[in-house]
Amino acid sequence: MLQPFFQWMGELGFSAYFLNSVWPTPILQCIHLLAVAVFAGAVLVVDLRLLGRGLTWASIPDLARAAQPWLVWSFVVLVLTGIPQMTSTALKQYYSPFFWWKMEALFVGVVVTFVIRRIITSKEEGHFGPVWPKVVGVTSIALWTSVTIGARLIGLLS
Amino acid sequence: MIGSLFETMRPLFEWVDAMPSSVSLRESLNGYVYLLTAHVVSMGLVAGVIAYWDMRLTGVALRWIPVSKVKSGLFPWLYAGVIINAGTGFVMLYSQPMRYYPNFWFWFKMGMLLILALNAAYFHQNIEKTVDQWERDPVAPLKARMAGYVSLALWAGVIVTGRMTAYSGLVPQWWIDLGLG
Repeated sequence: MLQPFFQWMGELGFSAYFLNSVWPTPILQCIHLLAVAVFAGAVLVVDLRLLGRGLTWASIPDLARAAQPWLVWSFVVLVLTGIPQMTSTALKQYYSPFFWWKMEALFVGVVVTFVIRRIITSKEEGHFGPVWPKVVGVTSIALWTSVTIGARLIGLLS
Repeated sequence: MIGSLFETMRPLFEWVDAMPSSVSLRESLNGYVYLLTAHVVSMGLVAGVIAYWDMRLTGVALRWIPVSKVKSGLFPWLYAGVIINAGTGFVMLYSQPMRYYPNFWFWFKMGMLLILALNAAYFHQNIEKTVDQWERDPVAPLKARMAGYVSLALWAGVIVTGRMTAYSGLVPQWWIDLGLG
């Protein structure tokens, strides 16, 4: 169903530019990876804290508030640098099971991190009981690890 | 001079390359896929954690948390990440030494990792000794901030050169002229 849409994306002049130029794609990939590092840090410090590990000296709401701008802006950079990489090899992505694995995990990850975890981290420790914060922390780590694995496998196995 | 230095190391790389265990790993169907995937995932852990440590030192983030608390909270995770990251990196090198030997970006990355180790050792041996006096200051002393900025820049460089290792052809002409490949 989406195949014509991916074909259209792949035929855009913008996509052809990235596919046929030498330096733009490696530069985008490097920026994308730097944003992965910042995003991973922003996700992890809060998720570990939800699990009762890491920066336990700080309260959960304070830590989540401090990490939020890094989380949001690194995610914006990830999307902006990810789109040209995706469109320039659109049909390869479309036919890759790992692309769809990544997108599904990404969608759920965004909902968990930016919506559910945001609610959990807005209240002091204990407000949601001992279990839910840990469930959210583990789920968030698992989802973003899954996104990273899926992303890496697109390049290696597709 | 650089060329002869690399030529001195060539027999070592060729010796490892011919080892049965190296050949076996190299010829494994999915070995490299698993290794590189684990390397990238653990990179997220290492770089993400170290970024927060460095941002605390530079006063960019977590300014209200004492430096020692940031260290005790994050470093166990950093060490776990480093063990996986360095381990998978070493096995990748061991399995394909003659792929990495002529790679400009690989050596650039190794050089930056060496400077990172020296920077960390200098911080630990000198600057950190007085941490009790400034660990609650939102902005650390200049030397600590400088160590943080150097670390941030070098880790960014390690990530960039690590990614560029896949682009072994996009290198300076003087490197190609060495004729290592």
